[in-house]
Amino acid sequence: MIRKDRRRALLLLSVIALLALVGGSGLRAASDESLRISQDSDGVLARYLNPTALKLSPDGRRLFVVCEASNLVLVVDTRTRQVVGRIGVGNRPEGIALSPDGTTLYVTNEWSNTVSKIDASSLQVVGTLKTGWGPAGVTTDRAGKFLYTANTLGDNISVINLSTGEEIKRLEAGHFPEYVALSRNGKWVYVSNLLAHTAPPEKPPVSQLTVIDTERQVVSNRISIPEAIQLRYIAQLPANEGGYLLVPFQQPHNLIPLVQIRQGWYLTNGLAVIRPSPSSGQQATVMELLLDDIDRYYADGFGSASTSDGRYALITASGANTVSIIDINRLNRLLSQLPPGNPLALAHRLDSARQIVIKRIHTGRNPTAVVVSPDNKFAYIANRTDDTVTVIDLQQLKVVSTIGLGGPKEITPVRRGEQLFFDARFCYQGQLACASCHPHEGFEDGLAWSLETPELGRDVVENRTLLDISETSPFKWNGLNPDLATQDGPRTAMYIFRSQGFSHDQVKDLVSYIQSLKLPPNPHVNKNGRLTEAQERGRAVFFRTTTNNGTIIPEHDRCYYCHAPQTHYTSRVRMDVGTSTRFDTVKEFDIPQLEGVFMRAPYLHNGEALTLEEIWTKFNPDDKHGITSDMNKVQLNDLIEFLKTL
Amino acid sequence: MKETRNFEEHAEKAIVGGTMSKLQRVLLGAAAVGLAAASLAAQTPPLYTKWINYTVANGFPEGEVYSVAVAGSRVWAGTSNGLVLIENGKVKRVFTPADGLAGRAVMSVAVDQQTGDVWAGTFGGLSRYSAGQFKNYTNLTSGLANDLVYSVAIQGKYVWAATAAGVSRLNTDTGDWTIFNEQNSPFDEPWAYSIAFSKDKAYMGLWGGGVLVYDLEHHYWRSYTDPDGSMEIVLYRNQGLIHMIVSSIAYNPDTKMFWAGTYFGLSGYDGRNWHNYLTKDSGLASDFINAVQSRGDEVWACTQKGLSELDYRTNTWVTYRPANWQALDSAKTEKTGPGEIIITRPDGKKDRVETPTSLPHNYILNMTFQGKDIWVATAGGLSHGIPKSDKEEPHHESASNRR
Repeated sequence: MIRKDRRRALLLLSVIALLALVGGSGLRAASDESLRISQDSDGVLARYLNPTALKLSPDGRRLFVVCEASNLVLVVDTRTRQVVGRIGVGNRPEGIALSPDGTTLYVTNEWSNTVSKIDASSLQVVGTLKTGWGPAGVTTDRAGKFLYTANTLGDNISVINLSTGEEIKRLEAGHFPEYVALSRNGKWVYVSNLLAHTAPPEKPPVSQLTVIDTERQVVSNRISIPEAIQLRYIAQLPANEGGYLLVPFQQPHNLIPLVQIRQGWYLTNGLAVIRPSPSSGQQATVMELLLDDIDRYYADGFGSASTSDGRYALITASGANTVSIIDINRLNRLLSQLPPGNPLALAHRLDSARQIVIKRIHTGRNPTAVVVSPDNKFAYIANRTDDTVTVIDLQQLKVVSTIGLGGPKEITPVRRGEQLFFDARFCYQGQLACASCHPHEGFEDGLAWSLETPELGRDVVENRTLLDISETSPFKWNGLNPDLATQDGPRTAMYIFRSQGFSHDQVKDLVSYIQSLKLPPNPHVNKNGRLTEAQERGRAVFFRTTTNNGTIIPEHDRCYYCHAPQTHYTSRVRMDVGTSTRFDTVKEFDIPQLEGVFMRAPYLHNGEALTLEEIWTKFNPDDKHGITSDMNKVQLNDLIEFLKTL
Repeated sequence: MKETRNFEEHAEKAIVGGTMSKLQRVLLGAAAVGLAAASLAAQTPPLYTKWINYTVANGFPEGEVYSVAVAGSRVWAGTSNGLVLIENGKVKRVFTPADGLAGRAVMSVAVDQQTGDVWAGTFGGLSRYSAGQFKNYTNLTSGLANDLVYSVAIQGKYVWAATAAGVSRLNTDTGDWTIFNEQNSPFDEPWAYSIAFSKDKAYMGLWGGGVLVYDLEHHYWRSYTDPDGSMEIVLYRNQGLIHMIVSSIAYNPDTKMFWAGTYFGLSGYDGRNWHNYLTKDSGLASDFINAVQSRGDEVWACTQKGLSELDYRTNTWVTYRPANWQALDSAKTEKTGPGEIIITRPDGKKDRVETPTSLPHNYILNMTFQGKDIWVATAGGLSHGIPKSDKEEPHHESASNRR
């Protein structure tokens, strides 16, 4: 009895000590490195892996696994289901392609702006190719002569001549192109874009599937996918099954007040079924259908694959730890019943899944990519926050193995927080996870949301980034949340998840993870760190203290007063900059940090400014958002060039 | 020419020596005429004798055509009422602001041969048309200097726009804008009408500001002005730009010359010498030039009184216009009437050739090349000029010294 009491007392003291450490100020982020590193049982530091992309060798015997957090590509023997090779690549690898002859692997390194070229036999990196900004998805053409990379931060696609290793052109994509697939006949390269077109906040989102003609190497079609964002992996059915493209998407009803979550249908997840046009210039047909059930949602569709016999399609739900198996015959039957020309005929119905989904199989945490073996016997699914690969027997439709990739056994608080970040089960009916609105590990989705406020339908606000925010409190556009724990704790439970939400410990872990998120390297900054002439001039404009005619600018009207450089370009207070509208209940807004601003369009609290220019050309008529009315066009342009370097 | 002279010398000896029979003299005379004709023909550039016009009669929008660009089998025309696509000889589509075009009046069109994107400089900003969608850049939403875009040109990954407030350059890889105007460059006048490129230089034609040349590698400027200053007479011929109001500029990579069309004559510069042309002493149809293009030995001046071509090597001019051009007005452009070709020889003599079809209007705004064919933008429609084939017999009037 006494021992038990002593144990309880010690436990209580530990908890109190821990609370004292974290209470009030929140967890402080350790270095970027340590937050993803733990020690294994031998005390050796190791990184988590975060598998995100998969590629099978043509004979199906080797599975290549891209591990974004550890800068590795692992090689798994599919017969033994063991890791048999490790290849070090560049910074934050994301995508993988295999040459048609199976001899060469190409792995994109998103934070290096390169592609690692790997000999598939020796598993040695034999070359590095330069790409545009933030390469993710990648494919070769049918002949293996050219490489196409989707450049997330550049909104374009690099076309690289593999004979010379040189980029020959860049083609404009949609917004944040991420995944790439070569058509079965080799005539087209398809590119899915994660984010919707930047548009006025009151407009429903429209995303784009970009189509490249591989013969002419030009963009031949931009297929609009209405009311959808977060287009992910692309699968193509065999021609005898329609040859459709299957692309998971998210359908946000962001302008409906968030309270709608209680009735469901707030954030739904579906599949765009696209019949590509037979030739350039002709219209493709699009059909959107939802994969959620009326009382259960499968958040954040991600991976997409089909069996080569056209029997099944597999769609992972990365927020629901599930893969949905779709019967293609049933899908075709459903599509044949629909009137043509209306892509949204099924987009608002939650009864499609029960007609076409024949099984939902539980995977590991945060399933991302899925691939099917060439003999259609097995499917392999990467589980990002488990560091595993799920193996599904496609004849029995069940999990037959989980392959451990060798990630650290110890789970740190940051790792737990990461797992929570992607997990939608904390939300009512599993409708959304944190990652649902903050895709690509903490980015913003570019949409304005009608979050809970004292008055429904008012204070519609633009989504905000989670990257490098640990020292930028307070949070929320109205600046009323003093720390992330408040942001992610009871508030999230009550107003966003409409459920119990996270436990106290889980909030701490989640906060740890969010504080670990970092901005990618800024491509607008020269490698030598020096600013260009225009950027230097812009810097001078940012720090100016007088107008063009010499009038002194009051201190509180100077750029650096509100956007203080020493605190991530935010003074961490609320200000009235004249941007509130009749739909806002407040006039003062939290000053956003400016680091990474170049990739955060649209701007202002409500997303009304679609470009940086518009902040001042359209929405600063009274010089309340800094004194800018005396600036000429060159000065404004220079200022923007400087802001893009932050 | 050498062959003719040898023949003449031989003939003279024979005639003077009295050794030639009458038949021989007749044959000799005929041969001389034939050789002279052949010599004249060799000096004459290929003539465009067939014109296919696109006007309101066949689906083209009403109004002026300001620019034309060719990309494979597609022809893009910028007009006062939208951007027109012609494909396989037919008007396929007319794009207006309702379709997403930035402005109704399209002053300039350029096709990026690498990406296939079509760039349209309009009076409402700059539009990029790609695979069925427009993306627009305006003064308020981007780094474009001004929404009045007179000319757009592609230089690798850069898109340049000549505007009423300077020249803007967009880096399509990074999305960065650069503005060149009087704030940071030697622009006497910010009103930029035209822009063209060589491998390492940008040539800018300014309304009232002459020509500015920007070295793309070393980032320095050179200014070319009219040595006559603001005087509206040409006092110093061939010693500088003919006039400061430069409406158009073209660079010819074959001859490495740039050509400037002005409102008061035509100027060419070979890097050392100027070559200036006025109506009064050349075959130039009018000193009021809207646009200039050049390739090989050809220099084309789009004037208010016809389309004039200079064969730079032989100094022969050829002007094309409707036969009734002096009485022409826009109401009469729906049908194509006969056309006339005025050939002005180096010695000033003129030949007139009549053609069954013609340009729809004499007010020529721009032109471009499609292989051997040409496309001409006029105030009354777009015209596709096809050169004379060997089988075709043109109607020919006798030579005269008519002006």
